[in-house]
Amino acid sequence: MNWERYKIPVAVIVLALLPVFFFEEGVSYVSRIFTIFLLYATLALALDVAFGQTDQLLLFTGGIAGIGTYTAVEMASVLGVSLWGTILVGGLAAGIVGAVVCWVAARRQLNVIVISILTISLQLAMIQTFNALRDITGGNTGMEVPALTAEAITSTMGWEPLTFLYYLFLLLLTALMVVHHYLTNSKYGLAFDMIRQDEVSAASTGVAVVRYKAFAGFVATFFMGLVGPLYVQIGGYATPGMFQFATIDVLVLIILVVGGMRTIYGPIVGAALIVYVNEALQAAQEFRTMVFGAMLIVLFLYFRNGIVRYARDLAVDRFDLGDRLPG
Amino acid sequence: MAVGARLLIGLLVDGISSGLILAMLGLGITLVFGLGGVLNLAIGIFSLLGIVLVMEATGLVGNVFVGVLVALVAVGLVSLAVDRSLLSLVYRSEGQERTLIGIFGTLGLAFFLEGALILRYPDVYSIPAEIELLRVAGIVIRGSSLVSIALGLVVFGLLYVFFDRTYMGQATRTVMQDEVGATLCGIDTRQLRTFVFVLSAVVAALAGMLYSFTGEVGVASSFQLTINAVIVSVVGGVTSITGTVVAGLILGIITTYADAFVGAYFAAIALFSVAIVVLLVRPGEIGA
Repeated sequence: MNWERYKIPVAVIVLALLPVFFFEEGVSYVSRIFTIFLLYATLALALDVAFGQTDQLLLFTGGIAGIGTYTAVEMASVLGVSLWGTILVGGLAAGIVGAVVCWVAARRQLNVIVISILTISLQLAMIQTFNALRDITGGNTGMEVPALTAEAITSTMGWEPLTFLYYLFLLLLTALMVVHHYLTNSKYGLAFDMIRQDEVSAASTGVAVVRYKAFAGFVATFFMGLVGPLYVQIGGYATPGMFQFATIDVLVLIILVVGGMRTIYGPIVGAALIVYVNEALQAAQEFRTMVFGAMLIVLFLYFRNGIVRYARDLAVDRFDLGDRLPG
Repeated sequence: MAVGARLLIGLLVDGISSGLILAMLGLGITLVFGLGGVLNLAIGIFSLLGIVLVMEATGLVGNVFVGVLVALVAVGLVSLAVDRSLLSLVYRSEGQERTLIGIFGTLGLAFFLEGALILRYPDVYSIPAEIELLRVAGIVIRGSSLVSIALGLVVFGLLYVFFDRTYMGQATRTVMQDEVGATLCGIDTRQLRTFVFVLSAVVAALAGMLYSFTGEVGVASSFQLTINAVIVSVVGGVTSITGTVVAGLILGIITTYADAFVGAYFAAIALFSVAIVVLLVRPGEIGA
């Protein structure tokens, strides 16, 4: 049996069944946690397209999601249309910013460390810009965002708003999984592997390094931009602080690394673990930052290959399951 | 003299003071990166550690100068422990991988220490120096800025003597230029890295203390200090000591004027924009 083909359907079915088993009516606490879990899984998988595939460490996930959010919300209010109509525009705006940054970085042949410092500077500049643009973002205090609803679906299915939002995230994550799978199993994946291993020899064999890196950057930031408008639906409002480095990027990075880069399941497993740890620490909220700091150190020193790879290697070693396991 | 000119001169003094503080922080990044390829993203937390320790120690002893000394020694010991444990593990890998592990290791350390400090120090703090406003020829100058400048100049004077006259200082510059050559000359690189890391943490703590003369600082703003330090170091060329000092002064003056005339948000945006442009135009050593 070829597991590769069933990897995504299995994940989607399991994730789609979660609300049936765990969500309870009137208890938004649980559905909120599961929705946040999908939010981080999607962001981490998007980052994998840039960081995992082409070694471009983009540390402005939060800011990019902010660009997607504010573009979509502002467009909707200027044009007087529903937020549904402008989500794609938000994603495109985010994707264009990402593509330009990655294109310039690739043209200037910036290495992974310079890209990380460059994007973290951009991230901080973006947050300050959001703070300064009070007319659009409501400044420090934030603003309410129009709700994304679909009466027809929610009333037929008997879903609560958060359940609907959960399935919206699942739809987005599924689309991203399909894109990720397609990219890594086509000529793009081959080019990404070559670029990651040796950029110079990739270029010398005719791989358009700059174009591929810019494209990977576009795909990653496009999806991050799409996540933004859904993210602010959880609370119904948006503040610039919600897109901060410490709020988004740090967790997304931990999730990607703990789950495993260059795998489809990695971000999902990582997000499940980190969201669980975060919940378990609710009782000891004040120790949260400490625990995540310690995790970051230990993960990067000892666990850089991630749980999914670790489990796969273990299974391959012990039970000789080589071809039968999903990645 | 016109009121405008007086205001500009008053702001220039503030700008130089903030520039010297930025230069002290940036120097810590530059030295540690130049010697070992580790971008120390925990440097801001050492500044905050310095501030809260001065207050604790001053409370116990009753004398600010003794308090400052105790705090500097304590920060030195903490950074020594970090160097022996975390950085020893980071130095086991090589090249770009070491830089990456260094970034995330020190970022984790920054979050860990920030989380630990905020448990006990949730507020904003400033060291009560009780320095008044001065009026020179009609120009209003903040006394705290003058004290910061004076102390900053003393620190840089000492650092100059260290790098120019002492064996350790010359060895540090040698390793930054050519590690293999330095090793062949019998310089113990690892020992030097330990010394320079502790030095950078102590200078950062001093910078934090000077910073808290001019305003209140909270533990949560330590990451902002780190980012400013990284930007100063990057703009200065990452491995150039002189470049870092000049970059710190220029950025301090630019942000002080931007802060006064177009607002705090735009001052921050200006700082990041300078960094972004410099990274794109001249990535320097860090891009090698």
